[in-house]
Amino acid sequence: MSSSSRPAARLLAIALGGLVATTAEAHFQLLYTPEAALNESAAIELALVFSHPFDNGFTMNMGKPEEFYVVAQRGEGEPKKTDLTQYLEPIEWSGLDSKAAAYVARPPRTVTRSLGDYTFVLKPAPYYEGNEDKYIQQITKTVINVGGLPGAWDEPLGLPVEIVPLDKPYANWVGGVFRGVVLADGKPVPHAEIEIEFLNHEPQIGERRFDPAAKVTAPQDSFTTLSVRADAAGQIIIGLPKAGWWGICALNLDDGLKHDGKELSLDAVLWIKATDMK
Amino acid sequence: MNRLRLPLASVPLIAIAWAAYAHNAICDCFDNGDDTITCEGGFSDGAKAVGVPLRVLDTAGKVLVDGKMTDKSDFTFPKPKVDYRVQFDAGQGHVVTIDGRDIEQ
Repeated sequence: MSSSSRPAARLLAIALGGLVATTAEAHFQLLYTPEAALNESAAIELALVFSHPFDNGFTMNMGKPEEFYVVAQRGEGEPKKTDLTQYLEPIEWSGLDSKAAAYVARPPRTVTRSLGDYTFVLKPAPYYEGNEDKYIQQITKTVINVGGLPGAWDEPLGLPVEIVPLDKPYANWVGGVFRGVVLADGKPVPHAEIEIEFLNHEPQIGERRFDPAAKVTAPQDSFTTLSVRADAAGQIIIGLPKAGWWGICALNLDDGLKHDGKELSLDAVLWIKATDMK
Repeated sequence: MNRLRLPLASVPLIAIAWAAYAHNAICDCFDNGDDTITCEGGFSDGAKAVGVPLRVLDTAGKVLVDGKMTDKSDFTFPKPKVDYRVQFDAGQGHVVTIDGRDIEQ
């Protein structure tokens, strides 16, 4: 490279650097609880944090959630919906280099006392993303099980957008795969844009922060957020190489939605947990 | 004819045995806080446990309550005044026993 071209190259590098910084991380709505498969019923503690789970980067302020509930089903029984908004406690959550408004919730044991599946659902307030001058709203599901008696983990909940599991979200061995179908208005979304992140910094609910220590290191930015596409039937298949929680987000499933006069990206997030064979 | 009947008659038995071994019996109980106990049961494939016997026994093995799971796969009984255990009996190898002292609200 000639000396005269170096400033231009430097500018390009700065520009690209800026681009990397804004695209490497994906926004993910966390709906976290430590255990996905419980042997016995217990009070389930949850953390609701809007963040970048792989690198514990910038954590964003959450507004008051629009909806927060759990759908319980024991075996082939009728599903039972319980509103959980009364248990929301506003808190300040610490990321590595930022603090943000978030929520924790500790519904009493009576809410999760029966055997079966519990699908927690969070519809957060739309978040204004200044970098893109648009709103983001991620309807998020986390499915847990009590006692090994399954429920309707494989049934859609009828949400505007959702990822419907084809494998139990709470019973996955490391090294296996997880499959799901992306739905918008109840219909599969062909070739939906999907982002996947590993929850690399375990949330420490009592301390209102992420564990500063990372579990794994990304060799390059492409590995921070894995980008895949659903197939023509809206189905996704992802590998699970590491124990812990994995977030799957289907992006922009809306059709020209607006919020406060600006574009609203309506996303569907599903959290699944992989467990080591040992 | 008798020889023929035997294998035919054994077909449903084999099917039942296979079905029972393919999934585990699961039962859990909780204290309703009003002097009653509710037990819920089912199988690991999500199948209901309608009609499965549920017995409450004292420490000597005397049956205090002899019940069956309802069509909702549960059964509620008065909380015994003595130490007790609950037995969910879904057949040989599929009996779940719960100590009354482990049953919480």
